[in-house]
Amino acid sequence: MNLLETFKLALRNIAASKMRTFLTMLGIIIGVMAVIVIVGLGNGMETYMRDSFASLGTNSLSVVIMGRGSTRSVSVDEMYEIVDENPDCLQYLSPSVTLSPSVHIGTKNYTATTKTGVSEDFFAMKGYEIAQGRGLQYMDIADRKNVCVVGNYVNQMYFANQAVGQTLRIGSLKLTIVGVMEQQADDMEEGGTDDCVYLPYSTAAQFARMGSITNYTVTVTSEEQAAEGKKVLTDALYGIFHDEDAYLVVSMAEMLDILTSVIGIVITVLAIIAGISLLVGGIGIMNIMLVSVTERTREIGIRKALGAKESVILRQFVLEAATTSALGGALGIILGYALCRVATVVVSALTDAALTVVPAPASVLMAVGISVGIGILFGYLPAKKAARLNPIDALRYE
Amino acid sequence: MSALIEFRDVCKYYVMGDTTVKAADHINLKIEKGEFVAIVGQSGSGKSTCMNIIGCLDVPTSGEYYLDGQNVGQMHKDQLAEIRNRMLGFIFQQYNLLPKLDLLENVEVPLMYAGVSRTERRQRATEALERVGLGDKLRHKPTELSGGQQQRVSIARALVGKPFVILADEPTGALDSRTGREVLAMLQQLHKEGNTIVLITHDNSIAAQAERIIRLEDGRVVYDGDAHAPEATVHPKEGGAV
Ligand SMILES: Nc1ncnc2c1ncn2[C@@H]1O[C@H](COP(=O)(O)OP(=O)(O)OP(=O)(O)O)[C@@H](O)[C@H]1O
Ligand SMILES: [Mg+2]
Repeated sequence: MNLLETFKLALRNIAASKMRTFLTMLGIIIGVMAVIVIVGLGNGMETYMRDSFASLGTNSLSVVIMGRGSTRSVSVDEMYEIVDENPDCLQYLSPSVTLSPSVHIGTKNYTATTKTGVSEDFFAMKGYEIAQGRGLQYMDIADRKNVCVVGNYVNQMYFANQAVGQTLRIGSLKLTIVGVMEQQADDMEEGGTDDCVYLPYSTAAQFARMGSITNYTVTVTSEEQAAEGKKVLTDALYGIFHDEDAYLVVSMAEMLDILTSVIGIVITVLAIIAGISLLVGGIGIMNIMLVSVTERTREIGIRKALGAKESVILRQFVLEAATTSALGGALGIILGYALCRVATVVVSALTDAALTVVPAPASVLMAVGISVGIGILFGYLPAKKAARLNPIDALRYE
Repeated sequence: MSALIEFRDVCKYYVMGDTTVKAADHINLKIEKGEFVAIVGQSGSGKSTCMNIIGCLDVPTSGEYYLDGQNVGQMHKDQLAEIRNRMLGFIFQQYNLLPKLDLLENVEVPLMYAGVSRTERRQRATEALERVGLGDKLRHKPTELSGGQQQRVSIARALVGKPFVILADEPTGALDSRTGREVLAMLQQLHKEGNTIVLITHDNSIAAQAERIIRLEDGRVVYDGDAHAPEATVHPKEGGAV
């Protein structure tokens, strides 16, 4: 009796009691489904975060200067010096001055637009291209010119694609638009990446009456240099302040790594909890197989009397358990995929984050492997019991 | 030529607490190829025990059992399974068909365990069922048949593997007398065709259909000889016909 015939027999026995088989499989179905959705959710979150961080630039370091009271601060020139002295790892520097008054265009008021004072290197740092007009230049910074570059959203929505040469106001600060950035996001929206105004940091700092600049963005030559760049900056700032609490250097790559590993841990824990349901499912299979062996004692006796060896009976029952479990696994995968789609829609609707729940092929493979494995593992004991039955006792069984 | 079946001092003891039941007590017997033997005796005399040992479903506590010259007593379970499959055909009182399988599949079971190919299996099972007159019911389930028909299926299943010995334990026990006679006639026919048949019964009139009778009492052989000799049916100890 070959494997294929044994398998067919297993399928027949399973088909003979569909409801029972389905209930037996339920634990496996739910377990596999949960593992797939949870791992998929984790994948989605990780991708979403990577994308978000990529737009911030994983090769950039963020520097915040808190200072030590009024005794000592750091000037923009000193910051430039630090960057210039370490060309191996540090590349560009841009102070970052965020303005809070809203943008006025004509008689209208726009609060969502971001307004940031930056250096002439800022666009190169971010990889932003200028679509119309020009970018900010060194002279704009040096002379604190009242100029700005706007995002394409501002250009399209407020200036009908005719922004260059027009003026806008940030509070009482009147700026002439000299350039328009290339569109960044696929879909522009209010408050998005394309709804922005960039002006010289010197102009912004003066307008905000800011004595010294506290926020900087520094880029490293490559992502691998992030750790080294962070160290260099930290050391240099320590040399100035002699106080670790006076400044803060944050590496975006590092943040991403930390967040990714946190998500990884959370997902692993959740997946293990979901995996426990697989275990429970396995015990369910064992239970029903034990019942099945008892019910079929006479059949086993007859088969043995007719010449079935122990190994054949063992194989029959193990295969039946494994098939039940694998069927459960397959159903779990189908439902898991379906639920991933539902979850994508639900999560997007609830959080308006464009998060896609993607089932990971590896987790699917693992789920199948585990469910078949559980079938074999938990089917083995009942199958062994069946195989060991004494033929005379089994024949006599009512 | 050695006997097909040979028991040498075969014993089977069941220990139940303090008492030991001697279900088979130093049984010696020989059955030659082509014989039709009936093993008779009262209930509890050890007939089924004897048949289980002949059928390699059980092993003796002591003594030796040779089947076709091989010492079966010392064999491993898997070897016994193989011997049951190739050398023995069983007919049970309760038919013991597999209810989920149709007749054809039921008869195919021994061939399947023997590793016979699918097409040959089909063909041989069909032939066997035709022989017992059920060629028109190949795809029926056992539960759709009468008791006599079910017993004929089990005869077909017993002979499909061309066994050395056909063992029948009370094959007519669950049948009315007319169907019982049909089944017996079928066994007679198989015997005429050269099959060795061991029939177990407590009914003397059925035993009389055989050539030879072995009478058991408390696990011992008390008569072994011609089925038609006067001592065969009436034993002094019983004080009359059973
Ligand atoms: N598994 C067992 N455990 C204990 N005692 C047993 C067992 N099987 C049989 N016996 C005992 O062995 C003796 C012979 O039993 P056996 O079944 O061979 O009798 P039998 O001649 O077939 O009877 P019947 O005509 O009722 O079928 C009986 O006394 C029975 O109680
Ligand atoms: Mg009996």
